[in-house]
Amino acid sequence: MSVGDPGSTSRPRRPLFYKYFVALFVAVVVPLLVNGASEAWFGYRDQRATLSSRLHAEAISAAGKIAAFLDDITDQLQWTVQLPWRDGMEERHRFDVLRLMRQVPAVVEVMLVDGDGVERLHVSRVDPDVVDSRIDRANDPAVLGARSDRIWYGPVTLHEGSEPYMTIAVAGSRAANGVTVAVINLKLIWDVITAIHVGRSGDAFVLDHSGRLVAHPDISLVLRGDDDPAAASLKELQRATIGGETADATDAQHRTVIAAMAPIAGPDWMAFVEQPASEALTPIRAALWRTGFLLLAGAVFAALLGYLLARRMVGPIRLLEAGAERIGAGRFDHQIAISTGDELERLATRFNEMARELALSQERSERIARLKRFLAPQVAELVEEHDQESLLDSHHTEVVVIFCDLRGFTSFSEAAAPEDVMGLLQEYYEALGAIITRYEATLTCFMADGLMLLLNAPVPCPEPALRGVHMALDMQAAVQGLIGGWRARGYTIGFGVGLAKGPATVGRIGYEGRSDYTAIGSIVNLAQRMCASADDGQILIDPTLAAEVAEVIALQPLGTRPLRGFADAVPVFAVRERAAEVAAPHSS
Amino acid sequence: MAFLRRIVFLLAALMALHGEGLAQSGKVYRVGLVIAGAPDTGMLGPGMVSNFTKRGYVVDKNIVFERRAAQGKVDRLPGLIDELVAAHVDVIITSGYPAALAAKQRADDIPVVATQTGDPVATHLVESLAHPGGNITGVSEVATELSAKRLALLKETVPSVHSVAVLWNADDLGMTLRYQAAEAEAKRSGMLIVPLGVHAPDDFDTAFSEMTKTPPDAIMMVTDSLTILNRKRVMQYADEHRLPAIYEFAFLVHDGGLMSYGPDVDAINDRAAGLADRILKGAKPADLPLELPTRFQFAINLKTAKTIGLKIPESILLQADDVIE
Repeated sequence: MSVGDPGSTSRPRRPLFYKYFVALFVAVVVPLLVNGASEAWFGYRDQRATLSSRLHAEAISAAGKIAAFLDDITDQLQWTVQLPWRDGMEERHRFDVLRLMRQVPAVVEVMLVDGDGVERLHVSRVDPDVVDSRIDRANDPAVLGARSDRIWYGPVTLHEGSEPYMTIAVAGSRAANGVTVAVINLKLIWDVITAIHVGRSGDAFVLDHSGRLVAHPDISLVLRGDDDPAAASLKELQRATIGGETADATDAQHRTVIAAMAPIAGPDWMAFVEQPASEALTPIRAALWRTGFLLLAGAVFAALLGYLLARRMVGPIRLLEAGAERIGAGRFDHQIAISTGDELERLATRFNEMARELALSQERSERIARLKRFLAPQVAELVEEHDQESLLDSHHTEVVVIFCDLRGFTSFSEAAAPEDVMGLLQEYYEALGAIITRYEATLTCFMADGLMLLLNAPVPCPEPALRGVHMALDMQAAVQGLIGGWRARGYTIGFGVGLAKGPATVGRIGYEGRSDYTAIGSIVNLAQRMCASADDGQILIDPTLAAEVAEVIALQPLGTRPLRGFADAVPVFAVRERAAEVAAPHSS
Repeated sequence: MAFLRRIVFLLAALMALHGEGLAQSGKVYRVGLVIAGAPDTGMLGPGMVSNFTKRGYVVDKNIVFERRAAQGKVDRLPGLIDELVAAHVDVIITSGYPAALAAKQRADDIPVVATQTGDPVATHLVESLAHPGGNITGVSEVATELSAKRLALLKETVPSVHSVAVLWNADDLGMTLRYQAAEAEAKRSGMLIVPLGVHAPDDFDTAFSEMTKTPPDAIMMVTDSLTILNRKRVMQYADEHRLPAIYEFAFLVHDGGLMSYGPDVDAINDRAAGLADRILKGAKPADLPLELPTRFQFAINLKTAKTIGLKIPESILLQADDVIE
């Protein structure tokens, strides 16, 4: 689809190709993008909802495991408050405590308080046992708490600023059974918390109600105490998850995580599960990559499609453009070849037809112009229209020859200024030209003020003789009208006309590009002599013509006159006037 | 706004994933192990190696151990630390206060995991348990307080005990603190301590002759590398003189000692390996708090009890985690 001759036109400011390309590309890509984006967004939301409910379930499960750990301890503590404090039972109580310490490694120390709120026994893993210290513990919050609620959970404290400890107190079913107050090393929840895995690398941790870290798989974090930056970030996470929402947050290891929380009722703690966002969002990410890839593929496809379609649309248009340019340059033979089967092909066909018509029209107008040189315009068009140029071929025919010229023009032209001469001629020819055209006479030649006209050749006309006389009368009348004006200006100019009818040889003479139509024969000479012989205002005709028009035109025989070139004197008639009933022929 | 935040979050998550994929380098880690005692005992035994292999290390493939034992000669420890520094170890695990002190003083750009140091806060080895500071972390033993507990257990086992001979490595500040704790408890409970501080293996002869001169009712051996080195002689002496003796660690009861109360050494070594593992993976010792032992073992050897003609009370047997019959 090469575009011919592009150098002659400058590039369009906004080429159609790019408009089509962009339009097609956008038409494909925008719906694709909208669809992809909405799919990604809704997919993301669905996945988030699934993730959220899964993490919540994990958090509840983790909270259950922590609660079970504490329940196990309180269950074991219950064994130590089964018997009342009576004399002689001290050893039994001590054995209960020793068994408890063997059974529950998390218990660091145990204090037994009897029904009166008096400390009876203190057993520690680190310190020597203290028996019957008899210290009054009745107002100890742990004792009071256990007495009112059966089980009392103390706050989480840091042992030596590092290890998290908590006091749990349980009371027996009867007040006499007393209260057991146990200090629990919460570091042992580590066994429970490390066993909880969320996904591949997610984990769980526990905070108390104040945000202090109670348990975490990274034991070092727990042991670092309160003033640790990691603890602060976990407090932040706690704030984010309160209200039951999963939260996007940063965990203690600076990982971006998604976390969920579940409360642990007894000690008022909270169990958290967290999963690194990168892992938790893997399915979402996969979906996003998929969507992204499809979008990219769609965009590439759209670009390709847009390019091809735009080319297909613009190619024929460029061909049309080039064709129009050539046709405009006059190369009417140029054919625009487009076979797209659509409107563009039709347009190309129209262009081709137009070029053909233009070629014909130009040819015709050239011919008409040529004919108009000697034929009246309407005759010229008639000849052209009927393709009757053969009429112009040489032949022998009967013609009326009309000569006319001005009297005294030569002396006037010598005396007058050139512009006056040309102005006068201009008026003269304009007046005559209108009449010649009206009578469809053929102008064979003119020379200064003299004209030679033919009737009945090359196109035959009805009653050429009468027509010639009428025309002469009109010419005489028109020129006489002008002469009145000229005489007023002091020019002594007259106008004479001579007509003759007879056979003559007519045809084109001349050479390529410069040909005239003319008549040859003695009749031409005769008409010329008649004109020369005519006085101002006079129309002289030969006998042949006179005989033909005598019935309708008033003639005045002027007798015979010797005419140059003719051996015998020729009878001459002057036309006086036309008969009233005869109207001038109209131009047809 | 919430939408925007989610988008930003998603991007952050994507970037995090990118970093996750980095494969672990093929580095071979070098771990220095230093004890003041004999080779192939305590931490230098096979137990420590398995603590690492269970954490995914493969010996000679991605982990190499540099073992150093001072054979009871504490003054050799600085030199051993220098050897480890020259061997470009990535972490040093020490047993005993002198080894930890030497490592702290001479290997300050190499992380140290200290074990069996007694009370490292009291000996100023570290600033606090939660924030040890410097380049050292480890496992504390609560061992100072335990001296009193041991004395109480000894008294409960043999109520007639009044004077107790305490054997300890007087060159080890941590051990000296334990001795002092025992003395305080004795004063409180009306008992008598016979201090028998030793400095070198040869000092044990002196200690034994002291005891022979004025026989105590029982022996308490403060356990460190030096005393472990001479454990057989102590046990033999106790058996011969039908003296009840209490030690600190269960393995000594398995070796023939009468009873022991103290933290689980295997657990301590396991935690030390855990800390070393964290350090090898890039953690800073200053970020790793000292850990306290969570499990204490009370072990009794009934065979030894029989040998010395001792009847163990029921309440003691009830408390025992480990009874050798």
